[in-house]
Amino acid sequence: MSATEAAKVQRFIYRTTGVCPQEIHFQLQENRLKNVRFIGGGCPGNAQLVSRLLEDQLLDTVVEKLDGIACRNDTSCPDQLAAALLAVRSGELAPMESFRLHRIEEPLHRIGVVADPAGQPGLWERLLAELGRRRPDAAICMGNITGDAAENEDWIRDLGKTDVILLQGERDWRYALREEPAGLPPLSNRRRDWLLRLPQALRFRLGERIGVAFTGDFLQHLQGFSDFDPFALEMNMVFSMTCCMQDTSVFPALEAMTPQFEAGIVVFAQGGGWGHWQVGGVDFVRVGPLAGPRKPGWGMLEEHAGQLRLERIPLSRD
Amino acid sequence: MAESVKVLPQEIQEIIEVREWDMRTREGVQRFRELKAKSLPSVALDDELVYESLIPMQEEMIAEIQRRFTAKNRDE
Repeated sequence: MSATEAAKVQRFIYRTTGVCPQEIHFQLQENRLKNVRFIGGGCPGNAQLVSRLLEDQLLDTVVEKLDGIACRNDTSCPDQLAAALLAVRSGELAPMESFRLHRIEEPLHRIGVVADPAGQPGLWERLLAELGRRRPDAAICMGNITGDAAENEDWIRDLGKTDVILLQGERDWRYALREEPAGLPPLSNRRRDWLLRLPQALRFRLGERIGVAFTGDFLQHLQGFSDFDPFALEMNMVFSMTCCMQDTSVFPALEAMTPQFEAGIVVFAQGGGWGHWQVGGVDFVRVGPLAGPRKPGWGMLEEHAGQLRLERIPLSRD
Repeated sequence: MAESVKVLPQEIQEIIEVREWDMRTREGVQRFRELKAKSLPSVALDDELVYESLIPMQEEMIAEIQRRFTAKNRDE
């Protein structure tokens, strides 16, 4: 093992039993415990105390001190942490692989958005020409870069040079894992690895507001995904609660949850064509496919005086 | 809403089992959708959505719990 690998920080999530917090999040670096967080309930003061006292302690030392402490149900938060560390030691608990979040820190005012180019370089070229003319501050492609097109391999090679921020969609993710639907064209290992490393969500600023963009509900099924990850609440509300904003009957409940959102703008690409909703002071934008059954197109998100505007732009022929 | 259930008198607490779902979690949302709820907070009794968007008066909730308890015991 190299020095770099030895110093690598590994992140874990342990789902508890019998105690108030539902999860314990912690990190290990060179067998030392870091950033312990008890998530979803319990005594916040005591949890912080435990966390601070255990910072940088060796795994074995912590287990020895905490194992067997009882509070309720014959266990306790520290006892559950000891159980988590024992699970790490025995290999039962693997380091988590939650979604990869890319961040753009500088405030933007106009963002081009598009989804599902589906391996069609002809449409992509027309899109790039449009983006060149309209010149947004940034452009985001919301996944499913790959498609049922023979050009997948060459197209992905060329995408490595683009300025468009590419997010991984479910089809791309399945390609990366060699689990693409039957019948899709093959892809080299190099391209699959490239797909695997794409960011899966994007945090940005549009004007004064924080926005988040994510592609589809496959993120909720990633190994290690936690309901308490950054923007997991936004994903949960979009995908699980409202079925991609299609079930408007639950919007009163959504409105009750938006005060807990980190994002004021939520952009996603699943569940149909283009859409824009304002619920509880949050703008929800559903991005439609570039290569869909209707006329191909993209969208421009523009912030003006605190209001978000979505302009739907058809691709021109030339 | 959960607090209004937790402060019910002891004799009521003894005949009920309380479960609270965290709506930030997928499990909570799944339960919300199973109950066909539309808004928050919501209270279900015996898997039936009874109160939505409102916190009932304690007397009202006690009466509803007792009514259900009596009906169940009569059936048994």
